Amino acid sequence: MRLLSILAAMMLATSAVADGHLPDLEGREIVVVTENAYPPLQFIDGNGDAVGWEYDAMAEIAGRLNATVTYENISWDAMIPAVSEGQFDLGMTGITIREDRAEVVDFSDKYMTSEMVMLVRGDEERFTDAAGFAADEDLLMAAQPGTTPFYVGVYDVLDGDEANPRIKLMETFGATVQALRAGDVDLVLTDGTAGNGYVEASDGGLKIIGEKLGTEDFGFIFPKGSDLVEPINAAIANMEADGTIEALNTKWFLEYKLGE
Amino acid sequence: MIPTSPDDRDFPWWLVAVVAIGLYVFWQVLTVEEYSRVLNTLQRGIWVTIYVTLVSYTMACVLGLLLAMAALSRFLILRQVARFYVEVVRGIPIIVLLLYVAFVLAPAMVAAWNWIAESIGFEPVRTRDFSLLWRAVIALTIAYSSFLAEVFRAGLQSVDQGQIEAAEALGLNRWQRFRFIVFPQALRMILPPLGNDFVAMVKDSSLVSVLGVTDVTQLGKVTAAGNFRYFETYNVVALVYLTITISLSLALRKFEKRMRSR
Repeated sequence: MRLLSILAAMMLATSAVADGHLPDLEGREIVVVTENAYPPLQFIDGNGDAVGWEYDAMAEIAGRLNATVTYENISWDAMIPAVSEGQFDLGMTGITIREDRAEVVDFSDKYMTSEMVMLVRGDEERFTDAAGFAADEDLLMAAQPGTTPFYVGVYDVLDGDEANPRIKLMETFGATVQALRAGDVDLVLTDGTAGNGYVEASDGGLKIIGEKLGTEDFGFIFPKGSDLVEPINAAIANMEADGTIEALNTKWFLEYKLGE
Repeated sequence: MIPTSPDDRDFPWWLVAVVAIGLYVFWQVLTVEEYSRVLNTLQRGIWVTIYVTLVSYTMACVLGLLLAMAALSRFLILRQVARFYVEVVRGIPIIVLLLYVAFVLAPAMVAAWNWIAESIGFEPVRTRDFSLLWRAVIALTIAYSSFLAEVFRAGLQSVDQGQIEAAEALGLNRWQRFRFIVFPQALRMILPPLGNDFVAMVKDSSLVSVLGVTDVTQLGKVTAAGNFRYFETYNVVALVYLTITISLSLALRKFEKRMRSR
């Protein structure tokens, strides 16, 4: 036990030296809030543990900045207001960097770029791309309001009208996929990874069609004026430069098998 | 005293069906890996659900009884305050109350506390120190205290006026009349609806998931988001709730029967 802690201390010391140019937060506690509902960024695995790309990245960032992280849970609906009010230091759940959101919270630099894919039922033959979907007035799509798939659906697929009745709004992303499978709607947009997860777990019930749609940059959110933005941006740049981000992408997007 | 409905004499086939389906799903949990993983994840949520239910219900009972006593008080102001509270809270959906307490009342309470704390030299607290779990518990307490206040009020009023007059004639004071005459008799009327509301509270505790409190429902939501299997996940979620609610209902029915036969 003693030996272990000495070893751990030595490792901490060496990493502090190696990243000597990064700010030192001197063990400061960072309260991070997430929902665990966005695989593979953060989710509950088969053993009931909260894991994912963002957990690994946050642990790495904390190690490099000499900070300690504690995690809290909140639903997505409540996350931006709660972080904006300063109830938590940082929010992470694959949040797209958007100007309207930047009015109430500060964003970190992007740590990931996501592309949307079109998820449809396995036997869908009426359309093969976004234009084909938009052209047929009978076809419906489902989305979670205020999320990236919703905005891509409105602005890149349909006509830019956020009140378009062809978008059915649902409370969770999973519910939109269930509505798709049940035949209530004909299209759901999702990022490639989650899309593949659903296709693999569906036994042919779902498939992905067409070209990739609009790209979205993800960032962490902070209360306005937070002094954590600078150090965390430095850590992200540092991890980008030494290949850590790429290694995380390989681990979670290529090697990890979701839903098993 | 309490009428027995005719279907009480029916053999409980419904229970046989429920238990059979429950056992089937439970067998799935034991043998199919997808199912057992779901239950494994939900486990921690079961304790949160039970904790939220028990704490909120206990606090709601205390608050509800105080409100009922206020509603039956000699003083106009107490009666009107109790009436105001009950009518306002009963008229608001629980989910709205929950969001209101979490994001309006809680920050306001923290601000008020800090304003007082500053003047008497206490450390100020931050909104984040007021956990979402406790905000949810407070919201459920407020909501259910208004239901339970009505249950208590009806029970207390059901005691025959003659009994109270007799107690007065015997020289018992107000507290003694309440403690020895009114309350024991009212309890028999109060217990069945009190039990029903307890079972209802188990179900309504699932509303705390909108705040992200990791109860059974919220963990079900995140489990389904991670394993992409809605069918299996919500089968287990429903099984967990049914196990709690039906066994509670049966226990309460047995208890009521014993009370009745006394």
